[in-house]
Amino acid sequence: MQRQAIAVLALAGVFLAGYLTLYHYGYVGSIACGTGGCEKVQASRYAVFLGQPVALWGVGYYVSVAAVAIAGSVGAGQLSRWPTTALLALNGWGVVFSAYLTWLEVARIHAICRYCVVSAIAVAGLFALSAWDWRVRRRA
Amino acid sequence: MAKTVQKKSNAKFVGVLVLVAVAGVATLGYMVAQPRAGIRPVDPNLAPGTAEGYLAGNPAAPVQVIEFGDFECPACGQWSAVTEPDVRTRLISTGQISFRFYDFPLDMHKNTWPASNAAACASDQGKFWEMHDQLFATQDQWNGEATRDPSKVLQRLAQSLGLDMEKWQQCFDSQVHYPRIKANQAEAIRRGINQTPTFIIGSTVYPGAVPFDQFRKAVEDEAAKVAAATAPSKAASRAATKPPSKKNPF
Repeated sequence: MQRQAIAVLALAGVFLAGYLTLYHYGYVGSIACGTGGCEKVQASRYAVFLGQPVALWGVGYYVSVAAVAIAGSVGAGQLSRWPTTALLALNGWGVVFSAYLTWLEVARIHAICRYCVVSAIAVAGLFALSAWDWRVRRRA
Repeated sequence: MAKTVQKKSNAKFVGVLVLVAVAGVATLGYMVAQPRAGIRPVDPNLAPGTAEGYLAGNPAAPVQVIEFGDFECPACGQWSAVTEPDVRTRLISTGQISFRFYDFPLDMHKNTWPASNAAACASDQGKFWEMHDQLFATQDQWNGEATRDPSKVLQRLAQSLGLDMEKWQQCFDSQVHYPRIKANQAEAIRRGINQTPTFIIGSTVYPGAVPFDQFRKAVEDEAAKVAAATAPSKAASRAATKPPSKKNPF
């Protein structure tokens, strides 16, 4: 049940991060500096990490989480313990990185992008579900 | 029995996944397919403004182009590096367009006012466009993320352009051009511009970093409109295609 919820939430996250990636490359909206927080965040130097847009790393993260959660939700994978460990590790890292990005927005960029806030909440939700899954399976 | 319940649960799970995937793909596809928002005609009832911006090219060129830009805006910097060289060599230098840059310093950028000030002071010595290019090329050295006080970097840029530093510094410190920058900014606000860069090409407003092909097409469309409107008067047509004046710095 928890893994299924993680899969659905992560899949939604893929599209959220996908939107931000398309925005970064100028396929949606226009490449411009406006008065909104998202424009400022996307235009800042922190929008790129290790040579790739942060949003693209986000797509990779959500795809990985969704893939593991789906694998752990169907067939023999439902009884396996490795998806629990993998999800906890992935989402633990997700929470740390997401917290770092939120700190950058507040302390360095001085702007808040609402899509980033939604993503941060989604990552926190994924971590909470992973922890729940881990707890339930440890008791079983 | 348990297997049937499990199968139903799996089917429901897969159904929800498919639903989310279809909704996501449809939403993103719709967004990508949307025409770029904001391309609109200039309000024909808008009275001419008093701010002049900074001119490049023949002021009597058939198509008048205005850029509202912010020196600290990365999208403006990107346009300046990628597209503007082509605009200069293929449209301004050939006398097809006149090009005016209007400062539109956005509140979100901390060091954009000093940068506009540095460019205005360079303009006093006939080197606005050189400073304009330098500012965009070195954005990461003086922008709000790099420093709280950009004046040293701006001084260095002025020096590298061979400006009379005493005059430039005096101009920079006195902020004598702030009213001019403010007037350029006010012109943007008066025209309802809300992002940088924004271009007005003839009678149409194009928000965002317009790629060269779209830019040239817009200029050709405007030139065709002008030619159609002035067709009866050959003399006017000749005047409109005269070679660029000495004001063209490129």
